[in-house]
Amino acid sequence: MHALKGVDFNVKEGEFVAIMGRSGSGKSTLLRIMGLLDLPTGGEISIDGIDALKLHEKDRAKFRLERLGYVFQEHSLIAELNVLENVYLPAVADLARNNYKHRAEEILEIVGLKDRINHYPSEISGGEQQRVAIARALINQPKTLFADEPTASLDEDSSKIVLDLFCKLNKEMKQTIVMVTHEPDDKQYVDRVIWMKDGRLDT
Amino acid sequence: MKHKFITSTTVKAIFGNLKLALFLAFKSMFRGNKWALVLIIVVMAFSFVNLIFSSAIISGVMATMDNQIVDTMFSNVVVSPKEDRFYIERSSELVPQIQQVSGVAETCVHLNTTGFIEYGWKEKTLPWEKVKSGNWNIDGINPAQEALVTSIGHNMIEGRYLDEDDTDQIILGVEIAGGNQAQSSDFMTLGGVHIGDKVQVTYANGVQREYTIKGIFRAREMMVADHLAFVTRREMVSILGRSNFSDRASEILVKADKNGIEDSLASQLKALGTDLQVRTFKEYGGAYRSVISTFELIMGIIGGTGLMVAAIVMFIIIYINVLSKKRQIGILRAIGIPHNAVLGSYLIQALFYSLMGILLGWLIIRVVLQPYFIMHPIDLPLGFLSLHIESGSIIGSAAGLTFASLLAGLIPAWTVMRESIIKTLWGV
Repeated sequence: MHALKGVDFNVKEGEFVAIMGRSGSGKSTLLRIMGLLDLPTGGEISIDGIDALKLHEKDRAKFRLERLGYVFQEHSLIAELNVLENVYLPAVADLARNNYKHRAEEILEIVGLKDRINHYPSEISGGEQQRVAIARALINQPKTLFADEPTASLDEDSSKIVLDLFCKLNKEMKQTIVMVTHEPDDKQYVDRVIWMKDGRLDT
Repeated sequence: MKHKFITSTTVKAIFGNLKLALFLAFKSMFRGNKWALVLIIVVMAFSFVNLIFSSAIISGVMATMDNQIVDTMFSNVVVSPKEDRFYIERSSELVPQIQQVSGVAETCVHLNTTGFIEYGWKEKTLPWEKVKSGNWNIDGINPAQEALVTSIGHNMIEGRYLDEDDTDQIILGVEIAGGNQAQSSDFMTLGGVHIGDKVQVTYANGVQREYTIKGIFRAREMMVADHLAFVTRREMVSILGRSNFSDRASEILVKADKNGIEDSLASQLKALGTDLQVRTFKEYGGAYRSVISTFELIMGIIGGTGLMVAAIVMFIIIYINVLSKKRQIGILRAIGIPHNAVLGSYLIQALFYSLMGILLGWLIIRVVLQPYFIMHPIDLPLGFLSLHIESGSIIGSAAGLTFASLLAGLIPAWTVMRESIIKTLWGV
């Protein structure tokens, strides 16, 4: 059984794309493969002209760290780290850039959480946690931000805040975003929708 | 052939990963469950104490046995005649030469023979009637000089030690005298004689003498020392014949000015004469040495078992920790945190637990156990036993525990890291 069959499309720089479809259509599988969390059985993934599938496992991890950002559905923050530490965590290993704390504070200001930097994940709301996850995804200035149903476990108000933030990042910072969602109303926030059905693009 | 050189990029990556691993490890330990952290360290501490304590007790037993042999029987080194001779000639000339050797503290000369000791012989109605008796070794000693080398004179349980002028007095080991304090069965002793009692000694050369028991000693060296009898050298020379034995010796005991130099001392003493045999006390071990070898084997088994237990405890702790954070590990890998940094953070935690445990365990040993056993040594039949802790044992146990902890920390973390990110995150 194939989760994806012959999926072929491009995402331009600066685009905000949503992948939508019914449950089991293969949209999350597609996102994970695009984000190099999983490997396809066949085909090619080219990011910035680099054939990502030809990279060794360690280089793929480095590629994810330096060029891609992720926002998961829920519970993706490290419980023992405060908000600021969660955001700058991906930048700690880069010895060449030791201003990561300052940069993390700047990003937290953009996402509207500068006054929460010393709080722990258990002390902030679900919507705020997702905004911290978004800030973490941005710390290394990724080329593409992948978001896998980022509002699925949030209430309506929190969902709107998160989606507005994505819009802001896309419009003001020209951040390329690929988002998986099953909410029809989320169409209004994106430039383009890619529909999936039974593992194929639904044209 | 391609060579992989270590570049500055590689070095930067290594240090970057190390920095990240330290960051993750310390945040996890000090921001996580503090009680769990304390418990782990306490468990490691007691694992370390167990390793040291069990080997210290056994080392203490071995040291006590060795000390008993040195203090009561052979001192540090024994100079004896060559195998084809019974006696050392001109011992009075040899003793000053021995005293000159560097490392020699004191010497004493023994003139030995065997004797048949009887108690209650006067009650015999027939010559062939048997009374309490036996064959034992009898040593002729200079009491004052003997007291500088062996501890027999300090171990009197009845009566007094010999004086140089004593000629009709004898002191007996408790295993000859018998009674409540002897370990031997009654039939193997004189049945419980006391000071003031008279015994008859028939020497190997046929000379018979009657002695008054002046003292009974218990050196706690059950194999040999407590089975000896002592008379003065003057008395022994008169028994064996003044003309031939006035300057002879069966053996000369040599006491070193500190323990542990027996081998070098023996080498120097060997240079004094080719008609002499020089042996350290260890060469006289006999049954003791096989007992000590057995103890060394037991020590190795206990040590190995202790290390295995500590490693299993650490494995379980790290495994539960890793399992409970499996999704978190998946998140870290998904956002691109290097594999080595994540693995390294668990190794650093294992290292921290073991090092803190070793430090706490060492404090328990130094501040609690060691002072306690110095003040309250264990009273064993072979002597007073206290802990004998060697620095080599501490270093070896610390290294073993650390290595076992690292291995036990590595295996569960590495097992989880081998799974795909998808499986770690979503279980599929």
